[in-house]
Amino acid sequence: MAVVARDRRVRALGTERVREAFVGYAFIALPMAFFLLFFIFPIGYAFYISRYEWGIFKGEFVGWDNYRTLFHDSVFWQHAVRNTLVYTAVVVPLQMTIGLSLAVLVNQAIRFRTFFRAAFYFPSIAASAAIATIAIYILASDGLLNTILGHLGYHHDNAWFTQQSTALPAITALNAWTTSGTMMLFYLASLQSIPTEVYEAAAIDGAGPWRTFWKVTFPLLKPGHFFVAVVSIIGALQMFDQSFIIGGGAGGPNYSTLTVVLYLYNQAIQNIHFGYAAAVGLVLFLFIFTVTLIQRLLFGKAEVA
Amino acid sequence: MADEKLPATPSVLAAETFAAADEGADKAPPPGIPGRETGDRIRTAIVYTLMFGIALLFAIPFLWSVSTSLRPTAETVAGFSLLPHEWTTIGYHDMFHKYDFTRYTINSAIIAGAVTISNVFLASLGGYAFARLRFPGREFLFLLVLGTLMIPDQLRLVPVYQMLVNILPKWVHVDLVNQKGVILIQLVSATSIFLMRQYFLTIPRDLEEAAKLDGAGYFKTYRRVMLPLAGPALAAVAILMFQGTWNGLFWPAVLLQDRAEYTIPIALTFFRQIYSTQWPPLMAASVLAIVPVLVLFIAFQRYFVAGVASAGVKG
Repeated sequence: MAVVARDRRVRALGTERVREAFVGYAFIALPMAFFLLFFIFPIGYAFYISRYEWGIFKGEFVGWDNYRTLFHDSVFWQHAVRNTLVYTAVVVPLQMTIGLSLAVLVNQAIRFRTFFRAAFYFPSIAASAAIATIAIYILASDGLLNTILGHLGYHHDNAWFTQQSTALPAITALNAWTTSGTMMLFYLASLQSIPTEVYEAAAIDGAGPWRTFWKVTFPLLKPGHFFVAVVSIIGALQMFDQSFIIGGGAGGPNYSTLTVVLYLYNQAIQNIHFGYAAAVGLVLFLFIFTVTLIQRLLFGKAEVA
Repeated sequence: MADEKLPATPSVLAAETFAAADEGADKAPPPGIPGRETGDRIRTAIVYTLMFGIALLFAIPFLWSVSTSLRPTAETVAGFSLLPHEWTTIGYHDMFHKYDFTRYTINSAIIAGAVTISNVFLASLGGYAFARLRFPGREFLFLLVLGTLMIPDQLRLVPVYQMLVNILPKWVHVDLVNQKGVILIQLVSATSIFLMRQYFLTIPRDLEEAAKLDGAGYFKTYRRVMLPLAGPALAAVAILMFQGTWNGLFWPAVLLQDRAEYTIPIALTFFRQIYSTQWPPLMAASVLAIVPVLVLFIAFQRYFVAGVASAGVKG
């Protein structure tokens, strides 16, 4: 009797387990199908496409030809890659410096702190197309910036975004500003993870705020610095919106705002050169993946959040 | 069901909220060392001046766009003035009626709305399964979902575009290089699933056990017990997805070819290239692009930060 009852219970538990598993698979079926179809499969498909001469439809198999052409593509290396690397090299330290400064400011025990955090963060979440358009207006030849500079006795008559020498620096400045709010939040989380005893100890030792910051806070923020740097680098390597909006889609003037992603976009959507664009995408992906991998290897999973 | 066992806001949502750790923010600073008080007061004055200065600097581009959007076009070339001499809403009128932004607004709302609803639904189902239901391969599949965060959109551009042109239409007989495609490829995101899962993990199991004893099935438990408790996470997912798709430029730029389907950011980009001196309607369109997110941000500040917190998994 007892044996039969236990047996029945075990069997019931068994079917219950199976049922739960089925329900689990049913609940994740759509998302998993979606991820397989639009994220996992495309990696392999991108490689497949990159080995063909591929316009609207699949053409001739060309092996590694697209990669060979890419290797010798002077527009890609001398403009797209160069601009992207220069942009990254300048914008990352700017974002980190501004982000950290803002984080230190809004981490103080002061009134309106919530307001200040919100005000500094907002440019990060406002539409890039709108902000870029406003920037074009402000940096136009007779725009607000040139007007103010004129009043200060510095006459600058050209539109910043249409001159080859100032277009990329202007985009860099624009993005350093808009993204600094996000970096501020990362740094804020990092700052708040520092135990207050550390500051108390520094105060007992008679260290002033400036000294405390450089000798205590800054070194303790090391994981934060690293995390922010990686997020910032990955974002910078993928810059597209501002170049697309400001450079008139072609990365003008004279390729000075052409980035790798914009080049990829143009090869695919404008030139209908999909095989080649797929090769560009894979090369960029490998580069970004390496950056991410270095971060994972050095620091494990990001802990800032 | 709603009793004192309601879970506290989970850490993923609360950790870095603007208001978090604000205890003491409005308290008076501790009494200074005698003799240092004047110095402290000066320092406080400097700090506040600095911060309001930066806040103003950050606000100037937005204020300037609003100011310009309310001028007649002639005034934008007639020298500098802080406020319009002649206040007019003609910029907004032209933007909506002459330059078709009514249609673009509807298009943006359709895409953002569809993507938001779909994310909330699919991510809450998936997040619940990953948090609570036991099935073989769960951890691996969840890692796979998180792994998709490392696949950049740029890599996906070519293969996804080709799938939408050449493969999928053969199965479903629908043209997908359009608004439908933009929605289709954003139906659910790993960030949404991650946020939902983390939230469900914080809800005590007792409630589900009780529902199970009452004979409720899995879907009923999810629908009647878990979903009503997941309000903050659902709100975070909805707000993040709406903001992301409303602002989205990349996929609309790739897939929208028919002018009648343009979203606000795309229309703004092309419109600026054609009518480059029509600053009042251009600035009106910029304001239009920004205001919905601003309103959401003011109303639901803390949920925006959940997305930043979850970016930790993006690495």
